[in-house]
Amino acid sequence: MTASVLTANCHYLKKSTRPGRRLILGLLLTGAAFCSSLALGQTNIPPVTVWDALFHFDATKTQHLIIQGSRLPRAVIAMLVGSALAVAGALMQALTRNPLASPAIFGVNAGAVFAIVLATTLMAISAMDQLLWVGLIGAALAGGLVYALGTVGHQSPSPVRLVLAGAAISALFISFTQAILVTHQEGLDSVLFWLAGSVSGRSLAMVLPTLPLVLPALLLSLLLGRHINLLMSGDDIARGLGQNVALLKSALGLLTICLAGSAVAMAGNVGFVGLVVPHIVRGWLGSDHRWVIPGCAVFGAALVLSADVIARFLIMPQEIPVGVMTALIGTPFFIYLARRGLRYG
Amino acid sequence: MPLSPIATANEWAHRAAALVLMALLVTSSPGANATPPPKPDNRVIIHSQGETRISGTPKRVITLFQGANDTAVALGVTPVGVVDAWAQGAHYDYLDKALDGVSSVGLETQPSLEAIALLEPDLIIASRRRHEAIYPQLSQIAPTVSLATVFDVPRTLEIMGQALNREDKANALWVDWQARLKDFRQQAERTLGNRWPLSATVLNFRADHTRLYLGGSYAGSVLKDLGFTQPPAHPKNLWMMKLTTKESIPIIDADVVFYFMEDDPSVRDSFDAWTRHPLWQNLDAARNQQVYPVDRVAWNLAGGILGANRMLDQLFEHFELEDGS
Amino acid sequence: MVERLRLTAGPISLALNGRTIVVTSVLLVICLAVAVLALSVGSVALSPITVIEALLGRVSGPEGFIVETLRLPRIVMAFLVGAALGVSGLILQALIRNPLASPDIIGISGGASVAAVAFLSFLTPWFAIQWLPVAAIAGAMAAAAIIYFLAWRDGVTPLRLVLIGIGLSAAMGAATTLMITLSPITTTMTAYVWLTGSVYGADWKDVQAFAPWLMVLLPLALFRARAIDLQAFGDTLATGLGLSVQRSRCLLMFLSVALAGAAVAHGGAIGFVGLIAPHIARQLVDRQFAGLAPVAAMIGGLLVLLGDLIGRTVFTPLDLPAGVFVSAVGAPFFVYLLFRQRY
Repeated sequence: MTASVLTANCHYLKKSTRPGRRLILGLLLTGAAFCSSLALGQTNIPPVTVWDALFHFDATKTQHLIIQGSRLPRAVIAMLVGSALAVAGALMQALTRNPLASPAIFGVNAGAVFAIVLATTLMAISAMDQLLWVGLIGAALAGGLVYALGTVGHQSPSPVRLVLAGAAISALFISFTQAILVTHQEGLDSVLFWLAGSVSGRSLAMVLPTLPLVLPALLLSLLLGRHINLLMSGDDIARGLGQNVALLKSALGLLTICLAGSAVAMAGNVGFVGLVVPHIVRGWLGSDHRWVIPGCAVFGAALVLSADVIARFLIMPQEIPVGVMTALIGTPFFIYLARRGLRYG
Repeated sequence: MPLSPIATANEWAHRAAALVLMALLVTSSPGANATPPPKPDNRVIIHSQGETRISGTPKRVITLFQGANDTAVALGVTPVGVVDAWAQGAHYDYLDKALDGVSSVGLETQPSLEAIALLEPDLIIASRRRHEAIYPQLSQIAPTVSLATVFDVPRTLEIMGQALNREDKANALWVDWQARLKDFRQQAERTLGNRWPLSATVLNFRADHTRLYLGGSYAGSVLKDLGFTQPPAHPKNLWMMKLTTKESIPIIDADVVFYFMEDDPSVRDSFDAWTRHPLWQNLDAARNQQVYPVDRVAWNLAGGILGANRMLDQLFEHFELEDGS
Repeated sequence: MVERLRLTAGPISLALNGRTIVVTSVLLVICLAVAVLALSVGSVALSPITVIEALLGRVSGPEGFIVETLRLPRIVMAFLVGAALGVSGLILQALIRNPLASPDIIGISGGASVAAVAFLSFLTPWFAIQWLPVAAIAGAMAAAAIIYFLAWRDGVTPLRLVLIGIGLSAAMGAATTLMITLSPITTTMTAYVWLTGSVYGADWKDVQAFAPWLMVLLPLALFRARAIDLQAFGDTLATGLGLSVQRSRCLLMFLSVALAGAAVAHGGAIGFVGLIAPHIARQLVDRQFAGLAPVAAMIGGLLVLLGDLIGRTVFTPLDLPAGVFVSAVGAPFFVYLLFRQRY
């Protein structure tokens, strides 16, 4: 028994080096994107200065201040948001068994947007860190409602019900948001850029509150890879193989809300990452979720980082909102995927 | 080959519908506006949306944008209806007394057509930028004159002078304005010597971005008339830029920076964040302490001859020149 | 045993049951009553008698002008827009075989929105605003064509259509956001109001531009009533019953898009009407398209009419877009529907 298990594991290890290699490639790609995010921009900073700024910080040098003050937080937030959204997307697609599911379907975007608009226009809350919490609460509220609606009357949510519930709750919150914005023009002006998706103008201290949510959620998602694989074969088979399907689905739902909610609260509406990255990763690393989840975390970070860098250059000195940039990059991919055939798994 | 009478009927229905739809597509494109029938009149005013004939001196005027409100008051006319101001309550502070008791017809961007009709005006001053879609209805209520934009001070003055039959007054105001401009330029040259002409930037801080107004904007064009130049880095083809990242601060640099903002806590937070940034501290203007707050209403929201004069007042005061007028 | 009335006129034959006729007549009366109510309220309240006299041309002065030239075209436009969206949604729900389909989700509103916002952001200095509906319709058709083309792989299945529609809607949403945030012309609020859906400023010219679409497309849809009913049975059964499924699907899709596109072009991107009106209609009458269509049209029209009425009277002096109230009512209703459905 032990020998066959060992042989099976060795066999698996041999087969698994290819995704492993590709994952390492992905990490390198992310690293390169991270470095260019620090170095490139309206003032291009040479790599040596970047290194100095990170490790031999000198508060009198402007370039060091730029790196530590704007670019580093921006890069870190971009990575966090990218990983969180991509992993949330992978989890959503597994949970709903729908290749075109994305975190937005859970209504978290609409919920966060509504909460923040409500807070800024009617409650006059303006501090960034407070708005972060407001956004999280809104996202959690919407996600919870969607989950509840999708599960009503049954033990665990079915894919179709979840998608429909998400569409309904999104629509609800969007309509309330419209009602507020149409009566408060100043409100519209001050959330416009946030609505479009933005990773700039935030300090690391601001996003500290979300770290206790995002990092454990990412970790937990990584550990659930094996269980998700079993879930993919169908509820009944998974139950037969000893999975507690209801618990697993609830966990997946909760994780998605945490990850997507935090990402939206940090950066606003960054679209397409949760939709497209899981497909690309599955195409390149295979459908084993033990590789897919870390792959999404890595490639999601790379995508948002690259989008942010490109967004700085297209209409200098103005910038394209990063949420729009990811859509611009993601749409051709999406069309390609749609043409190739909407396969899942 | 027809298979059955029903199929034939269907086919014919489809052909007929297709023909009608094609005709629809062709004819649904808007045609030219018919010119209004001629009335016994005094004058014809040619404006951005056609021609309007006006007879006599209009007594009941409704002005549908801030610049028109301002210009009407400047010409000594009290409108019977005005649109709401963008700040400081229903009217701007400097127009409060003049517009006391005047009815409101709603927002500049979406005035209430019913309120306008009920006031039974005999002249309406509108703007193509805002009211193009409702111009036909406005014309049916009263002769309507439409300016192309909302901040073209000379044109608004000229057209409203003609429409209100106060061309002399309008001319006088314009001559005054030109004289003040010339006065400012001469004094600036004398006082500042080699440093003149100065380059200037106009900034508007907002909660999530900062706006840079360039030469083609209202404030920018007044500054240009005064002799200020635009910093070479500024693009020539835009009139306003929205800066969302502090890394674009260097483009703000000029000999003097004027800024205005709303009195709101999140806007003030944003202002603090921008002005404490090291790139801001590096600006020549910041280092030479040539960064000045100015009045938001006069520099951005008013758009009429009175507001322009108030903007000039502020500049005279700021540069400590003698205001001869 | 259901009482049916059989109407035959040459090659056309309709079988309507008594209930449908009753419901349709009652709805017609309600529509007229609401219309008169809407004509009576606003900046100045007028009695219904004054309103009727004004309609007959016997009231002069500002009140007559207000009723005939300001309120009446706006009300007519609101009703027609709602009617078009209601019927469009009905056709689409039959096509996609999912009662939760609506013109918004398959990208029609998205395409019209991109075109309209692009027009408002870049083209207004050169083109008269009367070209805006043309741009919006063109955008709606283009978007629908792209979605259909992308969904085509030896035919179009409803699932592929919806999934691609959702994805492309997201892309078009991003493009719209880009233009709103970075537009050189400060028309943010105008664009946002358009996106919410509003009939402010509608006049007789607009009604004249829009009504022909309805007058052509509605009868065309009614002609195809049999095909629409068959589509609901599924591809295999429909083919077996003599329907050329793909061709019919293409034509019906075109009808639905044209109706919704024209409606959105004149009323802005009002959501939910195409979703809710068919649902309510199905609660009231038999599931036959010929009977459902007039009912869905009237309910859709009433929805938008009421939304506009609330928007311009409840929050005076503000005149809020009709879309806000349609959504405020529509969204909870959508949630309620979901709650009740068994999936």
